[in-house]
Amino acid sequence: MTGRRLVVLELTRMEAAHLAGLVNQFAELLDASGPSSTDPAIARLVPDAYADDTEAAQEFRDLTERDLLDRRRRDAEVVLESLHDPATLPGDAEPGDDALIELVDVRLDPDLLQAWLRCLAAIRLVLATRLEIRTEEDHDVGDPRFGVYEWLGYRLDGLVNAASDD
Amino acid sequence: MAMLTGPDVVQETGTRLDESTMRPWQTVVWNDPVNLMSYVTHVFREYFGFDRPRAERLMLAVHQDGHAVVAEGAREQMELHVQAMHDYGLWATLRQAPQ
Repeated sequence: MTGRRLVVLELTRMEAAHLAGLVNQFAELLDASGPSSTDPAIARLVPDAYADDTEAAQEFRDLTERDLLDRRRRDAEVVLESLHDPATLPGDAEPGDDALIELVDVRLDPDLLQAWLRCLAAIRLVLATRLEIRTEEDHDVGDPRFGVYEWLGYRLDGLVNAASDD
Repeated sequence: MAMLTGPDVVQETGTRLDESTMRPWQTVVWNDPVNLMSYVTHVFREYFGFDRPRAERLMLAVHQDGHAVVAEGAREQMELHVQAMHDYGLWATLRQAPQ
């Protein structure tokens, strides 16, 4: 089983601010999409449960979609809450300012950690849909969004490892 | 005296269950290019309580074979598992076990 201990994530204020910005966009996307959204990124968060039975798939969707999307919203909320202080930059900070690279700790208790894992995984799914990632080889070095995607994966992987007992 | 051994012959009850209702349901997790191998392993351990070797074996089956059956049982139970997998962002479906 995975650990029940506290995990401390160390970030620079700038990274925390970037992350908070992304989670905010994710929350806005969720708020903008109602039930049965046709947005493929939202659809990826609530996939068909039955591959060959559209009626059963729709029934399942009717029963679960709201809960699944509500969970994404709550996860985004608590992640944003935990990032609020770390992501706060001095109003007069300029690029290259030491305040931007100041290291800050985000303390994650087990429940919060699970919310972080689900949230980062979900944002990667949305981003991958936007980037039309269909295979693991899909990568466009000229598109900075791939950098963001990779960075989220790096952070998610680190948290998963920290969450494991062994 | 062997008190716990069952009867050698199972009595025919006369009611023959339809073959299709006998087949169990399965929770199938599908490969996707996005979810990290470490994350999928984590989900299998966290949700199903599998030990690491079993979780990794299933994760690799998903990754290499394109999908893996991670649970088998009653349809209602498999629906709960599939919803849980979706909750983690994994791509999962349920189906009746192939003949």
